[in-house]
Amino acid sequence: MNWASILKEITVWARTNSPWVIHFNSGSCNGCDIEILATLTPRFDLERLGVRLEGSPRHADILICTGAVTRQARDSLRLIYEQMPEPKFVIAVGSCALSGGVFQGCYNVIGSIDRVIPVDVYIPGCPPRPQAIVNGILTLLERLQERERIS
Amino acid sequence: MAEKFTIPIGPQHPALKEPGHFEFMVDGEIITGASVRLGYVHRGIEKAAEGRNWTQDIYLLERICGICSHVHALAFCLGVEQLAGVSAPPRAQAIRVLIAELERIHSHFLWLGVAAHEAGFDTLFMYAWRDRETVMDALETFTGNRVNYSANLLGGVKCDVTPGIASQIYRAVDNLEERTRHYLNVITSDDSLAERTRGVGVMTPEQADQLGVMGPTARASGVMRDIRVVAPYAAYTDFPIQPVTETAGDLQARFIVRLSELFESYRLIRSILDHLPAGDLKTRMPRRVKAGETISRVEAPRGELFYFIRSNGTDMPDRVKVRTPTLCNLASVLTLVIGRQIADIPMILVGIDPCFSCNDRAVSLVDNKGERRWTWEALRQYGIDYYRRWR
Amino acid sequence: MTLEAARDLLRAWTQTAQTPEANRLDIVVTAGDLLAAVDALKTSRWGYLSAITGLDHGREMPSLEVLYHFCSDAAIVTLRVSAPRENPSVPSICHLIPCAVVFERELAEMFGITVVGIPDADRLFLPDDWDETVYPLRKDAKLE
Repeated sequence: MNWASILKEITVWARTNSPWVIHFNSGSCNGCDIEILATLTPRFDLERLGVRLEGSPRHADILICTGAVTRQARDSLRLIYEQMPEPKFVIAVGSCALSGGVFQGCYNVIGSIDRVIPVDVYIPGCPPRPQAIVNGILTLLERLQERERIS
Repeated sequence: MAEKFTIPIGPQHPALKEPGHFEFMVDGEIITGASVRLGYVHRGIEKAAEGRNWTQDIYLLERICGICSHVHALAFCLGVEQLAGVSAPPRAQAIRVLIAELERIHSHFLWLGVAAHEAGFDTLFMYAWRDRETVMDALETFTGNRVNYSANLLGGVKCDVTPGIASQIYRAVDNLEERTRHYLNVITSDDSLAERTRGVGVMTPEQADQLGVMGPTARASGVMRDIRVVAPYAAYTDFPIQPVTETAGDLQARFIVRLSELFESYRLIRSILDHLPAGDLKTRMPRRVKAGETISRVEAPRGELFYFIRSNGTDMPDRVKVRTPTLCNLASVLTLVIGRQIADIPMILVGIDPCFSCNDRAVSLVDNKGERRWTWEALRQYGIDYYRRWR
Repeated sequence: MTLEAARDLLRAWTQTAQTPEANRLDIVVTAGDLLAAVDALKTSRWGYLSAITGLDHGREMPSLEVLYHFCSDAAIVTLRVSAPRENPSVPSICHLIPCAVVFERELAEMFGITVVGIPDADRLFLPDDWDETVYPLRKDAKLE
C-alpha cells in the first residue's frame, strides 16, 4: 500500500468519523513526541483529515502514548485511561512504549504501556517516522470502522 | 493575599497532583517565591550506564533527549576517547560537528515553533515546523534517521558524506538561511510578539553570571558562554565558531540570539563541506578503557552539556555523570521570576528552551479556599489575553 | 582565568592538588573548608559552578566523595570533599551559589548525603513513594 492510497483511505474514513486524540508522554525522551507533533504540522497534516488533538481525556476516542512509563507517570496513565469514555483505544508509539526500549531494567521504569493499560496498536521505531505513526492510526481507524459496520 | 501556584510538568490531569512541577507563591499577580520538583522523565540512566559496556552506553545516553541526542553521544564518545588516549580521525571529527550543527538547526526551529505557540502565534509555529522538515530530510539522508541519528562510534562516526548528501545539505542550508532571515524580521517587527518579549524577563549580565545560566539564555544577556568558542572540541578547533551575543537580556534577545547564531551554523556547515578532511571514519578503540577520570563538555543547543566519566579499567564505566543545561537554566528561573507577573510565566519558561516533555504541563493554583487547578493551556491563554487587553 | 590563579586562590585550604588532565586541577579540601574555598572562587569570580558529582568508589572504601566542578573557559577546577560512608554530610553552598540547590538535592537523594543547611530538602528526581533508605547511585543500592 503506497502513501497516496493510505492518504485516500484516511480521507474517506475521516469524512465519516473524526477521532479525537489525546497524547500522553509517560516518561519518554521526546523523540516520539516530536514526531507525533510533526504529524499535525503542514507536511503531514493529520488535522486536515479529521484527526484532532484534544486536551481532555473525557472527550477523547484515542489515547496516543509514548514513553517507558516511569513510576511517576503510571498513576496518571491509568487515571487518564479511566477517564476516557467508551469506546476507547490506545496506540503505543515507539520502542519504549512497546517494551521499555533501551530503558528496560532501569529503576524507576515500569517497562511498557501494556503493563498498565490495554493497548490496541503498537507502532515500533525509535522513534517511528511520522508516516509510520499515520499508518498506525489508519490501522486503528480501520478497526474502528469495522466495529461501526458490525454494530 | 498570598497564594500558591503549582505548575505540574508532565501530562496534566485535573484531579491528580503531579510529582513533577514548579510551585509559585503569588501575591495577586506578582510571584513571591518559586521551587521546582522534577522526576517525571527520570529513568535512572546514570545507574544503568554503570551496568552496560562502553558501546552499549552510547545507545543509552543518546536517548536521554530526542532533541539533542547527538551531542549527548558526542560528549560521551569524546570523553571515553580522552580516557583511552585515542583521537578520532579528522574526517570523523568534522562529520561530528556537521551533524551537531544540523541538530542545532532542527532544535532551534523546533523551539521557535513551540515558543510561538506559547505566545499564541500558531501560524509561526506551523511555518517554523514546516521549514524544520528541510533539515530533518537532510539529517535523514545523511544519517539514516530523522531523530536519534546514532552517528557516533567510540573512535569515530558511522556515516560518510557523499556528493549527493553534500548537495542536499547545501540546498537545505541555502533555503533555511533565507527562512531564518525572514523569521528574524518577524521576531523584531511583529507587534504582538514584541509586546510579549521586549523588556520581559530581563536578566542583566551580572544576574546571568550569578544565576549560572548557560547557552543562548546566557548569550542573550551578553554572557559569552559557548563551549564551542571558549573550549573548542572535535573539529571546532579547525572550524571555529564566531560568538553571537545580544545585550538586552530580555526574551526578545533570547529569540534573536537563537536565530542569529543559526547563520554561524550555516556558514560552518558550508565551510566543513567545502574543506572536509579526507581519511578514515574511525580509529581503533580498546574494549577496556584505561582507569581514570575525565570531563567532557560540549555545546548543546540549550547550553553546556557536562559529562564526568570515570573508568576503573574494565569494559564498563564506573560512573557516568550527566548534567544537562536545562537543569541549570531551570534553577535560574526560580530566581528570575521573583517579582514578575503570572502572565509572563509561560514565556519566561519557554525562553530558556526547556526540555520538550515540559510541553505537557498543567498549572494548579492553590489558595486558602482549597485547590483550584488550571491547565497549562489556561495559563498560556491567560498570558495571551493579558497582553491583548493592553492594546 | 587560569588554573594557576585558582591554585593560588585555594592554597590555604588545599590538602592535595593534582592535574589529571592539562586543563583540569583537582583540589582535595575538607568539608570544613569547603565554604571558604567556594567563597574564594566566587569572590575572585573564578569561573562558575558547572556541576556537582557524587562518587561511590566501592563498598570497601570508607568514604563517599563529592566533587564541585568550577569552569572558566576551558579550565576546570574540581574541589573534592570526602564524606564518611556512615552518616555522610557536606555543608550546603547555596547561600553562596543559589543555583546549586538543584545539584545538592540530586546529590542528597542519589547518594544519601546530608547537605547541611540546604534551602530546599525536597526530592528532585525520585518519586514521592521511593523507599527513603535506598540511594540509587550507591554501589550497594538494592534496586528491583
